[in-house]
Amino acid sequence: MFERLSKYLVPIAGKLNNNRFLSVLRDAFMLAFPLTIFGSIFVVLTNLPFLEKIMSAGALANFKDMFGIASSATMGIMSVFVVFGIGYYLSKSYEVEAIFGGAISLVSFLLLTPFIVTLEGGEVVSGVIPLDRLGAKGMFLGMITAFLATEIYRRIVQKNITIKMPPGVPSAVAKSFAALIPAIITLTVFLMINVLVTQLFNTNLHDIIYNAIQAPLVGLGSGIVPTLVAVFFIQIFWFFGLHGQIIINSVMDPIWNTLMIENYEAYQAGAALPHIISKPFMEIYTVGMGGTGMTLVVVFAMLAFMKSRQLKQVGKLAVGPGLFNVNEPVIFGLPIVMNPIVIVPWIIAPMVVTLVSYFAMSIGLVPPPTGVAIPWTVPFFINGIMATNSLAGGILQLVNMVIVGLIWFPFLKTLDKTNLMKEKEAEKAA
Amino acid sequence: MKKILLACSSGMSTSLLVTKMEEYAASIGDEVKIWAVGQDQAKKEFANADVVLIGPQMSFLKGEFQKEAEQYGIKVEVIDMMAYGMADGKKAYEQALSLM
Repeated sequence: MFERLSKYLVPIAGKLNNNRFLSVLRDAFMLAFPLTIFGSIFVVLTNLPFLEKIMSAGALANFKDMFGIASSATMGIMSVFVVFGIGYYLSKSYEVEAIFGGAISLVSFLLLTPFIVTLEGGEVVSGVIPLDRLGAKGMFLGMITAFLATEIYRRIVQKNITIKMPPGVPSAVAKSFAALIPAIITLTVFLMINVLVTQLFNTNLHDIIYNAIQAPLVGLGSGIVPTLVAVFFIQIFWFFGLHGQIIINSVMDPIWNTLMIENYEAYQAGAALPHIISKPFMEIYTVGMGGTGMTLVVVFAMLAFMKSRQLKQVGKLAVGPGLFNVNEPVIFGLPIVMNPIVIVPWIIAPMVVTLVSYFAMSIGLVPPPTGVAIPWTVPFFINGIMATNSLAGGILQLVNMVIVGLIWFPFLKTLDKTNLMKEKEAEKAA
Repeated sequence: MKKILLACSSGMSTSLLVTKMEEYAASIGDEVKIWAVGQDQAKKEFANADVVLIGPQMSFLKGEFQKEAEQYGIKVEVIDMMAYGMADGKKAYEQALSLM
């Protein structure tokens, strides 16, 4: 039965993985990744809990101001990198000049952005770019604009509507002239759209897209039920030996990342964190305890309580990588893949634990992740404390691991018995 | 010199296997170059490889990779699941040799 299901899943996984737009999105978020990690380091450092005790309030505020720019210039304007990244990677996938695709996307996005800020008193300040439009708030408009702008740009280039320089002209000059007509046409389209929207409807596309698309989608994605569905599918894909996150995250990342940046913006402003579910929640509380399925505790159990040689050997092999949340040895060595004995704990445990984490955070027992990005290879407990800026965040992981261990134990024991019997038979035969 | 390219999602988990394969190759006196890359990098490296092995979690890449690899006349195969899971350098290395 599993083999037959697998035959259906492999093509789906391949399609999702190879889909041009999804893989461009994935790469674009990867472009933002080192930058958000850089920003996150300084968010973590300036919010260390003991700073309040060793610094005066004034000194601490000053200290935060000094280093605040590190995250404002990265996570605070994350849409800029995603927009540029989409333009760049999408152009590259069509084999047209990628750097211009990135630049044209970015300008198209800026053309739709109002360069004014309305202050609380109703006063309008012009000649400024509102930072929040370049952060979480502009994320979906940015993604949509970048895809559309690049599609227009590359079509014009591919139709060969370009200015060609005679041979002998330096290639950088020739390339910028070649991009001239496609750039002017693409940018004029977005300029005209903006003129229409602002003059006829007296609003801007930022607000329209935010209210009509981003807020509903992101709101949906922040709920526990869709999150459990995502976890379920990630586990199912891995059960068939396919990289669940690569497949599911390419769809969910825009939403999870937007939630992350919204939390970060609230955190930096000293406001209450609006979301529990976010990218860090998924990474720290569904993967960050030994890899997908939170298998580190399963590895500990193999080493401590299991008797069969097979499980002990997998345990020894898996414990090192498991500390850094790499668990391919468990998935393929135990194996988890297509193993009917472990399908129940493999799917149930992460869903139960996700529910427990969500519950602990919604009743205020544990603070939700602050929105800082933590590399997924940081070991458990440490990553939990870093993500929530609270010891409780680490302790929650320990509780989660106990739960995973309890759910797994009877199934692991069954597997151990079967293995022991097989090993004895093999010895007798030899 | 035998050149074996391993590909997975980010090149992280296959790098475990690289070390084990190198150790085994060295133990039988083979001169090898074995390296791991992420899926986006992999195709660019095909020209330098004698054979391409894919991590089993990315098995859905096989068809696409195979098309590309034909240009270089090299074979693409998914690493045996057990060999991958147990980081069995010998088994994975022998699988690579059988494809060259």
